[in-house]
Amino acid sequence: MTREEMESKDNETLKDKITGMKRTYPSIQSVLMPALYAVEQSYGWLSQDAIQEVSNHTGVPAAEIKGVATFYSMYRHEPMGRHLVQLCTNVSCLIAGVEDLVKFLDKKYGLLPGGTTKDGRLSLCLMECIGACGNPPAMLVDGDAYDNLTCEAIEQILEKYE
Amino acid sequence: MITLTINDREVSVYGTATILEAAASVGIKIPTLCYFKGLDSFGGCRMCLVEIERVPRLQTACTVRVTEGMVVRTESEAITAARRAMLEFLLINHPLDCPVCDKAGECDLQDLVAIYGAHEGRFLEGKRTHPENFNDPFIVRNMDRCILCTRCTRMCDGPQGAYAIAVTGRGSHSFIEPFSGGRYNCEYCGNCLTVCPVGAIMSRLHRHSYRPWYVEREVETVCGFCGVGCTMVLQMRGGSIIRTMPYVGEGAVTGSYGSAGSAAPAQGLNKGLLCVRGRFGYDYLENNERLETPLIRKKGILEPVTWDEALSYVASGLKDVKAVHGAKSIGAIASGRCTNEDNYMLQKLMRFVIGTNNIDSSARFYYSPAQSYLERIFGHGVTANLIPGIANADGVLVAGGDPTAINPILGLQVRALWRKRGKIIVVGTPSGLRRFVNYEIKPHPYLEEAVLGAIVTRLAAKKGFRGENDNIEKYIKATAMPGEQLLKKANVSKEIVDQAAEDLAMMKSAVVIIGPELMERPGASKNLFLVSAIAYLTDARIFLLSERPNYQGVIDMGCAPDILPGGRPIEADVLQHKIKDADVADHKIPEHKIKDTAWTKAPVRKGLNLFAMIEAALEGNLKALYVMGENPVFNFPDRRKIENALSKVDFLIVHDIFMTETARRADVVLPAAAWTEKDGTFTNLERRLQRVRSGIPTMPGRGSVSYHRGGGADKRPEWKTLAGIGRLMGMKENYLTSSDVWEEVSRVSTLHAGLSYDRIAGGNTIWPYGSEPFRGVEGEFEVEAPGMPPAMDDGKIYLLQERQLYHSGSITRKSKALMSISCEAHVLLNAGFAERCGLKDGDKVIVTTETGSLTLPVKTDREIPENVAYVPNNFDNVSPLGIIGYTVDGYLGSISLSGNVVTITKADGPSDAAAGEGYGDKKE
Repeated sequence: MTREEMESKDNETLKDKITGMKRTYPSIQSVLMPALYAVEQSYGWLSQDAIQEVSNHTGVPAAEIKGVATFYSMYRHEPMGRHLVQLCTNVSCLIAGVEDLVKFLDKKYGLLPGGTTKDGRLSLCLMECIGACGNPPAMLVDGDAYDNLTCEAIEQILEKYE
Repeated sequence: MITLTINDREVSVYGTATILEAAASVGIKIPTLCYFKGLDSFGGCRMCLVEIERVPRLQTACTVRVTEGMVVRTESEAITAARRAMLEFLLINHPLDCPVCDKAGECDLQDLVAIYGAHEGRFLEGKRTHPENFNDPFIVRNMDRCILCTRCTRMCDGPQGAYAIAVTGRGSHSFIEPFSGGRYNCEYCGNCLTVCPVGAIMSRLHRHSYRPWYVEREVETVCGFCGVGCTMVLQMRGGSIIRTMPYVGEGAVTGSYGSAGSAAPAQGLNKGLLCVRGRFGYDYLENNERLETPLIRKKGILEPVTWDEALSYVASGLKDVKAVHGAKSIGAIASGRCTNEDNYMLQKLMRFVIGTNNIDSSARFYYSPAQSYLERIFGHGVTANLIPGIANADGVLVAGGDPTAINPILGLQVRALWRKRGKIIVVGTPSGLRRFVNYEIKPHPYLEEAVLGAIVTRLAAKKGFRGENDNIEKYIKATAMPGEQLLKKANVSKEIVDQAAEDLAMMKSAVVIIGPELMERPGASKNLFLVSAIAYLTDARIFLLSERPNYQGVIDMGCAPDILPGGRPIEADVLQHKIKDADVADHKIPEHKIKDTAWTKAPVRKGLNLFAMIEAALEGNLKALYVMGENPVFNFPDRRKIENALSKVDFLIVHDIFMTETARRADVVLPAAAWTEKDGTFTNLERRLQRVRSGIPTMPGRGSVSYHRGGGADKRPEWKTLAGIGRLMGMKENYLTSSDVWEEVSRVSTLHAGLSYDRIAGGNTIWPYGSEPFRGVEGEFEVEAPGMPPAMDDGKIYLLQERQLYHSGSITRKSKALMSISCEAHVLLNAGFAERCGLKDGDKVIVTTETGSLTLPVKTDREIPENVAYVPNNFDNVSPLGIIGYTVDGYLGSISLSGNVVTITKADGPSDAAAGEGYGDKKE
């Protein structure tokens, strides 16, 4: 599938998705945050086009949506890799040596916290606690959780994400 | 009424007032930064903190409402300390670059810091930085200086309703940004500039060119771009306009004008708002191309001459024509851009000095025929309704144009009503009202009649008849319900029409806004009658949109072939003298005088109107034509015909501020004064008389003193030039100032009787100005027999004129500022249609009519109907009107565009193969 095809298909489903959300939220403003997540998923990040799309489907002015989007730090405001690695650096993981893993990611993939690999495959985001303190260190890759991490384990896991 | 005590003073106010308003009502000033009269209270800047007895902490005066027995103190040591602390917080990030900031001297923050201290903060951390943004042609944002009072966003989302800017980011790193982050791409009203208390949002037009204390003169005048007549202030230095501001009270220069404590609240019918044209469009006045001296054609070339030579040339030329061909071979075109005084004087020259009633103006296109038709139905003054009252209605029907583009400030009132949950029904493309409509009824532009007819019949069934006006009721009863097929053809669903009619029937106080597009087409009188019927059934107030500042004044000053000053029909005098038609025909009437100007006689017969003058010229019967402030070659339809007509006029005089297309063909060109350069009056579309004041100091008996940036243009007002010609032709009166002219108007016109400039100065001179208006013509009107609407073939595309927000006729092409945001003509096409034709935004296409073609880039719009192509008539060498023809509506006497079926072909590009066919005439 070409990129254009993908986008045009996404836009149809996006419109349906956002229209569906309108029914479950009390006001159009309250639709904004889930709608932003939806376009973020299909665009990869909140580009101008993505925000404009939310505006088109909700009727809320684009400038206002941009205001909402930039207020929250967990929306992606820059282009990201195809897969997002969220590595926990909170107390438990820190004690278990997560700093070595951060260094490993840099050495192995050239992946710095907040950055993206050159081939656009991976992005790294350092997280606060993700609730896996029993088996540190832990990370999320695109929503899949992994724990008891070592450098070797990470390398193996990331092979799965092309 | 609630009584409270503020600083030991008893204050009585209405219960809805805030402490700030209560204090302001007795002149107690409470400092504010985020408060601005007319915007929602925000309570964010904490400058208006006050002590309230028995309330433990300081409260914000702008948000707390008064209660009975409240005891408030506005100044104490604790309050001063709190204010100083708040200012210190603001100065953490404010760069304190006052020496290079244009706002210095009228900056609210600067003033408050001067009062309360905290000249520098104790914070050692670096300041937040945000680079100055110069991406926009008008507005420069310096977000370092922003104090996040959000006045600009509240203005943009509130009264203006443009929703262009928002607070972006979080915490101290927030800043104000348009969606694009760079260019604004908004309505460019510039009202965010008015409200910004610091130098964060500033105009680029006068950047670094002045200091507020350099302003030498502040002149309150009326904007000369459209028929709303917004009050504005010209800030002048050295005879040149530094900037224009909306009238905002005494403190306009001191910067604290928005504060509740300042002496006068925002005034004028625009309530401190301006639109893009009024705020940024003034620079055309100082364009280098302004005409400087009179020009006379000698051996085929226009040569500069002295005023004396020009005036005597004109006078002798007109005398010669009159002597050889008679007065009836002389005509004049008056101007909706000129003041009442100018138009009165032109009318006087034609009617009483030369002796012809051949005078008309472009108000004839739709404004004056529509008004006279409405007046015949409802009586005189039916369109004299107050613009600020729109927001107090409970519903609006808009038909025939986008008020937010034609009359922007009137459009804002419609938006204000929508925010108050009034019902907005738009028949046609809503454009600027897109976010503000309940019912968007978009019929095919030639089938409005079907929709309006459907609404009228349903409304009549629901509301019944009041029996007030037998005549209109008779016609309404005769209106047949349009068939479903017709509605289907018009592309409008029955349900939405039913709903709209239902809502209209519920309205207790309705408003009907009528725009020009409704009347520019065949069947105009039917459309207008149906809208009138809706207005009658809902007992609505009627507004007639006016593109020029003084169309109403042109009519009131008698610049029409059948009306004398004051709006009295010429026949009225005949009737009063009980004279038979036969006598008129035989010229047996001894005296036909206009009151008090004893020596003059008005011709008895009606003159030629605009269209008749053109025909007469084509036939060679019009030998001399005086064109004042109008550009028929560019602004009238059918350029070839107009040019042909003008070429047959032996003696063409053009009186304008620029060398227009028409002026180039003239025998004599006289320079004129623009609206900021002369004194006088305008009558706006609500028939309010307002004073226009010259920004340039004038000396009696001479032309204006001129030391303009724009060169040595002679700013001699038109009335003065006209009076000069008149005197050379035997007129006795001598006028020194415009008030002399007005004084005569107030004697001659029964409508304006006894009105002096002093009385007009207040801006509250509203029709009928306390005098007795002429009555007695209502009840006589005809309605075109209901029948099939004009032929409309599927698949054809009709060329129509786009009326742009950023431009006002052909005059704003000379404004560099306005050209910088809208610099190129385009053809606006329906997005779906364009897609089917393989056209994208920016593709060049050739738009061809029977008589001509234009090459234009495409702009697509999802909202407009499929079978129209809108082209603005505002740009050099692009005159869509020029390539279409016109006919005159038989019932209204208004213009109806014809020959505007176009074919659209791609100018170049890969799909040239399709170019031969023309997308327009594909048949199914």
